Amino acid sequence: MDYVYSIVILIGLFVILASSFNLIIGYGGLISIAHPIFYGLGAYTSALLARDLGLPVPLSILAGVLFAMLLSVAMALPALRISGDYLLIASIGFQLGMIELIKNLRFTGGASGVSGIPAFVVPTFGRGLYVALVVGVALAVVLLVRWIAHSDYGRAISAMRDDEQAFAALGRDAKWIKVSIFALGSAIAGLAGALYAHYFRFVTSEQFEILMSSTILTMVVVGGLKTPWGPVLGAILLQVLPQAITFLNLPPVILGPLQGLLFTGLVLIFMFLRPGGLVRADDTWRATRHGGG
Amino acid sequence: MLEIEGLSKRFGGIVVADNIDLVLRPARILGLIGPNGAGKTSLFNLISGIYPPNGGTVVLDGKALDGLALHERARRGLARTWQHVRLFPSLSVIDNLIIGARHYPAESLVTLLFGPGRIRSAAKAARAKAHDILQRIGLPHAAEKSVGDLPYGQQKLVGVARALMNDARCLLLDEPMAGVEGQAYEAMQMIVREVAASGVAVCVVEHNVAFIRDLCDEAVFMFQGRILARGSIAELIANPELTELYFGH
Repeated sequence: MDYVYSIVILIGLFVILASSFNLIIGYGGLISIAHPIFYGLGAYTSALLARDLGLPVPLSILAGVLFAMLLSVAMALPALRISGDYLLIASIGFQLGMIELIKNLRFTGGASGVSGIPAFVVPTFGRGLYVALVVGVALAVVLLVRWIAHSDYGRAISAMRDDEQAFAALGRDAKWIKVSIFALGSAIAGLAGALYAHYFRFVTSEQFEILMSSTILTMVVVGGLKTPWGPVLGAILLQVLPQAITFLNLPPVILGPLQGLLFTGLVLIFMFLRPGGLVRADDTWRATRHGGG
Repeated sequence: MLEIEGLSKRFGGIVVADNIDLVLRPARILGLIGPNGAGKTSLFNLISGIYPPNGGTVVLDGKALDGLALHERARRGLARTWQHVRLFPSLSVIDNLIIGARHYPAESLVTLLFGPGRIRSAAKAARAKAHDILQRIGLPHAAEKSVGDLPYGQQKLVGVARALMNDARCLLLDEPMAGVEGQAYEAMQMIVREVAASGVAVCVVEHNVAFIRDLCDEAVFMFQGRILARGSIAELIANPELTELYFGH
């Protein structure tokens, strides 16, 4: 049963990551590959504050979220003052630099990572409730992204993505919209990281490497960019399929490469057969009934 | 009133604006004519803040716009349209207009999260105004359509309508008549006249001489980044030197 719980929690966490990445890259049109490091910053911050300073876990989770958000603003603000292209460059540098920092600092446990992270919810209420918590947070994130995308703010995001200069000529400040979206998406990634840390109780820098960006991106693209439910399907599909093939009882020499090929194969299949992803985005922005005016 | 003094811009050896002095007066329509490459659109780009000038000042209603970004100038009351329309293809016609509203508090994520009431009332006002403008330009039926589904002439009208949402004090129209004919032509003339009559300073870059002649109070002729002549459109057309520069014969 613990195995199933772990899988569901990982799916929930990847739904959170994919949805928040969709907000940045899909709705916002901002190209960044630093999402894993904000996931990691949330995990490390919350883990260290709870373990080493004895901060109550809810507060340490909040601190992890805020720290990820703060650093995302610090990274995005100078880059977005110039252009969106610089965000990609800055995100590469930030992702690689922060990982090296985490690997080499003593208080982050270096390459060995952080273990003995205080558990949250599980000791008192059991694993089932933690699963419910993660699934609840994932659902809340999906609904939040959907609400933002179809609100009056979402209208502004769509216009900005279409033509930033024409958007600015109407008196709209594209820079702050981009920074806000990036900060919110990164903060949500930090939340996913903190939730991960207090369940699995061990984090290491390897979990937040740059390659994870491609995993999250694949989930978003396969599921459907600029759709609230696409990344959910993408995250489920790309978490469940690799697990499912382990039940085929294939020898490890085949199983390992097969799991790797699965991602590449799926991307290629979707590129040719369904480039819009599993859930197609509407061509025209629409307000939801309660979202936009 | 928009006052331009000594505005200059060079791209390497190419001069697109050479010490330009120009005044756009409230309730007046100024036509900006000249051959392709004369620097007309570049002048709009300098005024609206897309290009930083090498020299000169732009003053709107007594306040200098120098150093302000594109969106800050728009907030000060400067609106413009584009030669190639540049509507937002992912938005419907009405949403293209709403996004141009002078007060659009939903631009802030913080306001969205913590001030939804403010956003709702502003969005309601913007929607009502957008419908009103669409009615005036004869496109009330097009409100919910995708902009890509409209004929090009109507897209041009929507572009002007979007610029009007800003309650601007100065309106720069870049070739509003290119590709526009029939009812859209008449609607465009009517709306530009109405806007000017409401006290807005209007400047029109246009190759359609008939449109400029029918609409503008005065005109300036630009060539190689310089203003060569000013006067009524009749006076400018009557000048054989300008005609030769414009038409090449």
